[in-house]
Amino acid sequence: MSAARRAGAALLGVAALLLLWEAYRAFGPLQGVQLGGERVLPRADPRSMPGVLEVLREAVAPEVAVPGAHSVAVAVLTAAGGTLRTALGGWLLGALVGVALAVPMQRLRLLERAVLPWVVLSQTVPVIAIAPLVAGWGGRLRLGADAVWQPWMSVVVISAFLAFCPVAVGMLRGLHSPAPAAVELFRSCAASHRQVLLRLRLPASLPFLAPALRLAAAQAVVGAIVAEISTGTRGGIGRLLVTYAQQATSAPGRLYVAILGAAALGLVVAGLATLLDAAVLRPGLRRTPRRRPAPGGLPA
Amino acid sequence: MSAALQISGLRQTFTTARGTVHALADVDLDVPAGSFVSLIGPSGCGKSTLLRCIADLVTPTAGQVLVGGKTARQARLDRDYGIAFQAAGLLGWRSVLRNVELPLELQGVPRARRRARAAELLELVGLAEVGRMRPEELSGGMQQRVAIARALATEPPLLLMDEPFGALDEMTRERLQTELLAICARTATTVVFVTHSIAEAVFLSSHVVVMSARPGRIVRVVDVDLPTRGEGTRQDPAFFARLTEVREALRGPAGSPVAAGAGTEDR
Repeated sequence: MSAARRAGAALLGVAALLLLWEAYRAFGPLQGVQLGGERVLPRADPRSMPGVLEVLREAVAPEVAVPGAHSVAVAVLTAAGGTLRTALGGWLLGALVGVALAVPMQRLRLLERAVLPWVVLSQTVPVIAIAPLVAGWGGRLRLGADAVWQPWMSVVVISAFLAFCPVAVGMLRGLHSPAPAAVELFRSCAASHRQVLLRLRLPASLPFLAPALRLAAAQAVVGAIVAEISTGTRGGIGRLLVTYAQQATSAPGRLYVAILGAAALGLVVAGLATLLDAAVLRPGLRRTPRRRPAPGGLPA
Repeated sequence: MSAALQISGLRQTFTTARGTVHALADVDLDVPAGSFVSLIGPSGCGKSTLLRCIADLVTPTAGQVLVGGKTARQARLDRDYGIAFQAAGLLGWRSVLRNVELPLELQGVPRARRRARAAELLELVGLAEVGRMRPEELSGGMQQRVAIARALATEPPLLLMDEPFGALDEMTRERLQTELLAICARTATTVVFVTHSIAEAVFLSSHVVVMSARPGRIVRVVDVDLPTRGEGTRQDPAFFARLTEVREALRGPAGSPVAAGAGTEDR
């Protein structure tokens, strides 16, 4: 499919979704549908389901009733921009930690056996459980004479906590990916461990690293938003979602503007990850691994 | 002639879940410099293990391997041998030229020198034109020739080859055999060549080392004294006589046939 047709299909999908939304609003039962006391279809009243036009109107409306106040859309974009910065910071930190863990794990089997289960297990800890801990520890850190721990730093750390795992696992698999014959060839050339790492294992791991980084980017965004909510950090989309959810009775469209903002943030980060993938994985690299990396690079 | 390779009392046992496997037992072998020695035998006779002991890729249980008078380990560290496996094993992210350069790069040879040397080697194996291509763009036979060029990069006195033509079709195989002989004649390299093709062993070698399985040991060394080797050699009666000799040695003492030749073996 050509790029134009793909874009057309995507737009068609969005249009169909909006149409379905408006059609349900027009023809759906106002009180929704209940089956055995459980609501299976939502209410179709304007407060539960604001119209597309209403959401758009809300987006351009001023956020507060003060002359010269900026619009809701600007507030959402500013907040999304703030979260983008912390999520990128978390992604970068997580990727560094992941690679820094994978390299020694590949080198020492004992370390791999000791550390890898904890890496995977760490992801079962809910973010809302560790967020207050990170914020608490950070608050007690003294970074310097006039530098104190900022709330956004906690968000970066929590975001990195989610992002490092796919990188560590994917990178480890990539470092293990060269065929035994290739390792023996380097050994026969009396190559040092550093040479084996730099000239064989790292290049061989790139096709595994790329999907891991993509997954880590998505994790970093989710981590940043949830961390903002659970640490109460201002200036990000997470906090705005909470604020607008509280205003849902008076201005139901606002929450949807914020949700769209969060979705756009996810798209931007996914796009950045794909760009990085294309830059790192030049065409010649793409077909190297004998074993194809599994999508996502995480064990099921 | 001095010995390029001396093996004495070599023994190799592996412990597996089902017990101890005697891969090699009491192997003694002297390889004179400049000779071409083939190791042939049924699957599991330890011929690849023997090659890997010489290459110091496995450590023998007992016995001694001397490569040019040095221990196998010292020879490996001094890069005294080049090696080629059944799979060409070229690095997909490097150009063909940079694949040939690899051993020189690992040795720390300056870029300009190693590049010139790699170009020379590609010419030697008849692939001067493909240096800038990616390995995956080459046929299996071409990839194997690149692997041979790479094994020769450091001008090692000893070349170890583990079924390098095993995965190629018969026609490519025979052409590469002729080319390999020409290359060896020009570079005066000693070669130890693992194969399970009797014809390949006889055509290439000055000595064919016939091995038997369980435990792996040398049954006989057949000297092949053909005056010249070319395409005509394959129809030479002397060639057939040596073929028969190797085949009989593989079959072992009358009444105990050993399944020789067929199938691939795992090392």
